[in-house]
Amino acid sequence: MDPNQPVTENYSNPKTCFFHVLFKAAALAFYILSAIFFNSFVIIFVVTVLLAALDFWVVKNVSGRILVGLRWWNEINDLGESVWRFECLDQESLARMNKKDSWLFWWTMYLAAVAWIILGIFSLIRFQADYLLVVGVCLTLSIANIIGFTKCRKDAKKQIQEFATQTIASRFSSTLQSAFSVI
Amino acid sequence: MSNQQNYGDTIPLRSTHLHSSSSQSDIDEIENLIHSSLSSSSPVVPSPVPPASSARTPSPPRAQIPVSSSLPPLPPTSHKPLPIPVVPSVHIPAAPPVPSSSNPRSGIEGFGPPPNTLTEPVWDTVKRDLSRIVSNLKLVVFPNPYREDPGKALRDWDLWGPFFFIVFLGLVLSWSASVKKSEVFAVAFAVLAAGAVILTLNVLLLGGHIIFFQSLSLLGYCLFPLDIGALICLMKDNVILKIIVVSVTLAWSSWAAYPFMSMAVNPRRKALALYPVFLMYVSVGFLIIAID
Repeated sequence: MDPNQPVTENYSNPKTCFFHVLFKAAALAFYILSAIFFNSFVIIFVVTVLLAALDFWVVKNVSGRILVGLRWWNEINDLGESVWRFECLDQESLARMNKKDSWLFWWTMYLAAVAWIILGIFSLIRFQADYLLVVGVCLTLSIANIIGFTKCRKDAKKQIQEFATQTIASRFSSTLQSAFSVI
Repeated sequence: MSNQQNYGDTIPLRSTHLHSSSSQSDIDEIENLIHSSLSSSSPVVPSPVPPASSARTPSPPRAQIPVSSSLPPLPPTSHKPLPIPVVPSVHIPAAPPVPSSSNPRSGIEGFGPPPNTLTEPVWDTVKRDLSRIVSNLKLVVFPNPYREDPGKALRDWDLWGPFFFIVFLGLVLSWSASVKKSEVFAVAFAVLAAGAVILTLNVLLLGGHIIFFQSLSLLGYCLFPLDIGALICLMKDNVILKIIVVSVTLAWSSWAAYPFMSMAVNPRRKALALYPVFLMYVSVGFLIIAID
């Protein structure tokens, strides 16, 4: 490594970033370009929705974990109630997360959702109900991920705050204890 | 004296310690340390901490769509492994995640809940989700000892199975149609999806206790027999055969959905909850028969 090189942060998980973007872009591209090549709505629908679902899974299970250290899911507890769980890495790891990675993660999610909204508006204007169905499904998936991860992030921040106060409190009390024991 | 720290203090430190090396053996050491101190200090060990080697095994405490769920969690795929190689950086040298579930146990709970789902390899996630689909299918559609306790049976709901079954049914119907294939597919998909949502709302409005996604998941899995029926009808074009096959699979689907739906509502309103389900399956059955 050249010591004179300025320290620039690169993507620390290029493969994951690639896949994170790949399926979103593929779904959008396929949807937009398919009108030119395919006549059959069925193929367009199935492939687009499949790509969107794959993207949903990848973001939720893989890139969310690796790029920003967050995860969310739903459980049904013993009482039969549904509980949303949010999971995050501890604070140190979160702080070490690559900034570029997380920037890419969040922005591509938002951009993809916006793109689907725009496509939805187009199909609404053209009164194409079946294409609206496709857009609706893809949009639902994108928004679900956005909401899930946003909640997860808020939860993580809250936990960090609690953790910090707890640590401070326990340190303080142990300091007091040791101070008193010396006396 | 001053060096002596109770475990409440070491817990925050565990993360720094673990960060220094990413090997699993470190985690093992620390867990052993905690085990030995726990067993010596208190007779009660919280929930059994599984050996680190199995720390990668499945999921969320209890017994993971959707994928994931979650909100309309349509988790994973079926078939082939995703072209995602197991990223080495997955083994993030992090301490077990801070679960947001309110754990009443004291400080050690970081190691308690085993599911270290944040750092498991990708392939594990895929396998976990796939096996969940299969087990859900078996629970719903085939006879099993949990049938009379629907709350337990579909605890691990996921929407991937239903997604694939609905798409498959739409494809088969569209394939068997000789004209207007696209419309057939779109109609089948929309009817099934909207139908599932409306049926769930119906149960909820009748004052029933069912979780929205659980019910969607259930109704989707119950389409499996109709899928088989549609496939058979696709291959053989005899009308009589079609009617027989469709009636059998229809009965099977309704039988599969019955316990879950009826358990969810007040006994006096069972019929009100079940009738629309039956109606929906009948209409799908007609679609299958009528397609030429």
